[in-house]
Amino acid sequence: MENEVLSYDALVIGGGIAGEETALNLAKMDYKVLLVEKELSIGGKMILLSKVFPTLDCAACITTPKVSETARHPNITIFTGSEVKGVEKKGERNFEARILRQPRYVKEDACTGCQECEPVCPVVVKDQYQFNLVGRKAVFVPFSIANPRIAAIDIENCSLCGACERACPADAIDFSQEPEEKTYQFKSVVVATGYKLFDPIKMPRYGYGKYKNIITSMQMERELAPTRPFNTILRPGDGKMPDNLAYVLCTGSRDHTVGNPICSQVCCMYSIKQAQLLMGALPMADVTIYYLHIRSFGKGFNEFYETAKGMGVEFVKGKIGKISEKENGNLVLRYDDIETGQVKEVEHDMVVLSVGILANDEIGQVFKTQKLEFDDYRYVKQIDELKRPAMTNIEGVFVAGAASGPMDIPDSILSAGSASSEAASYLALTE
Amino acid sequence: MAGEKQRTVKVIKEKRTVSEEVKANIKHYNKMKKLIKDALKEGPKTIPEIAKATELPAHEATYYVMSMRKYGDVVTGEIDDMDEYFYYHLNQKN
Ligand code: SF4
Ligand code: SF4
Repeated sequence: MENEVLSYDALVIGGGIAGEETALNLAKMDYKVLLVEKELSIGGKMILLSKVFPTLDCAACITTPKVSETARHPNITIFTGSEVKGVEKKGERNFEARILRQPRYVKEDACTGCQECEPVCPVVVKDQYQFNLVGRKAVFVPFSIANPRIAAIDIENCSLCGACERACPADAIDFSQEPEEKTYQFKSVVVATGYKLFDPIKMPRYGYGKYKNIITSMQMERELAPTRPFNTILRPGDGKMPDNLAYVLCTGSRDHTVGNPICSQVCCMYSIKQAQLLMGALPMADVTIYYLHIRSFGKGFNEFYETAKGMGVEFVKGKIGKISEKENGNLVLRYDDIETGQVKEVEHDMVVLSVGILANDEIGQVFKTQKLEFDDYRYVKQIDELKRPAMTNIEGVFVAGAASGPMDIPDSILSAGSASSEAASYLALTE
Repeated sequence: MAGEKQRTVKVIKEKRTVSEEVKANIKHYNKMKKLIKDALKEGPKTIPEIAKATELPAHEATYYVMSMRKYGDVVTGEIDDMDEYFYYHLNQKN
């Protein structure tokens, strides 16, 4: 690439809400930032959400202006579909990072996102951005509000038939692209790699994966979103519109048996939010939330919980032991009723597992010369959690958002504010 | 003429081969699509009706019908009298 910049003030790893906020804050202070995102779009998990709690604002309406501001800022360079392979600290304000850019097989400057390539592609595989509820083509625009809104080819599943190349009116398909790995210099690094979702397949007693009318909360989030996979809320097992749904809170959180003893902080509230949205989308439906404790600790959260109760969402203090399936696809939940001490069974026609969040600890392998330290739960360790929460054990490397622990959107933005000001004061010492 | 242009797909074909899995997947999708289209030629159907007509498990019928809907082969119609299942029909524009 001509005129390619190989040195920046800051490397921000992760293009979710925390990474964008960090990059923007630094860019506004006139620092040059390289933002590296492994997915094909920036926006992280937030851009895939329906609405946010406790205001019920549309998630896309909040996040897309920030996403486009990040994408357009002249001091920010973004690599999507890219990975940081190694970071070495060479000295004070001197980091070297190897970055691998995977080809999209689509010319970014030519593609208009018109999607004319999609209908001609013969390959259909599961759409990871719709959490496998529906298919997508081997050539695809990741989702309608993706940024960049540019097609990419999933080369592993491509039949190399060339139909997309013949159909593209912009001549944007380019199979001659190759992976590119280069070394870049930075003065500081911000880790904003977010979190992973708990995979409930690890809890066979709940039957996820086996019983098709059990979905995760992220799948329900997609069903509720305007860019949803179905025409409305449907059971994936047979396309029925559900009228009696259950939420199982703390799936994979506060649970030693699955190795995650801590609270995921967001599951109670996003489940209450989804329950409210379901009452709106399916006015005849009954929604029951099975919980251990409702942790509605934030501003406006308890009122939001009370609103859900007022709308008719039922809350049952109960620990789910086992879920089994009936022949008609309905699900029987066996649970300990904590109020009465009795074991009960109840039938629902759809179950949503409110999955917890886990540390995205792969970032640990990236730091070569000096190891990045983790806390007991594999989140990036905050060495001075109370006074300087964005500091890590490596001077010049900072942490933003859920990479340091479970947190909701406003807290991620606050945390990014802290990381960007720490990074800015570290950078200012060079001047 | 578009057909006469140097196509970059030729470049990659020299370097990569298409796995048997990818080929089988295309065949499978086309087969599912044909089965569902044939079932819908007689008129709109709900997913359980499509599953019965095609002998597919209902969750697979849901996945394929929804994917066909996404790419415009199928459109959503009315809901049944019990307010449980939607009818899906072929997109006449295709
Ligand atoms: S690759 Fe071509 S056909 Fe596909 S979205 Fe881009 S411009 Fe449109
Ligand atoms: S070359 Fe690959 S991506 Fe393009 S239409 Fe054929 S299968 Fe799809």
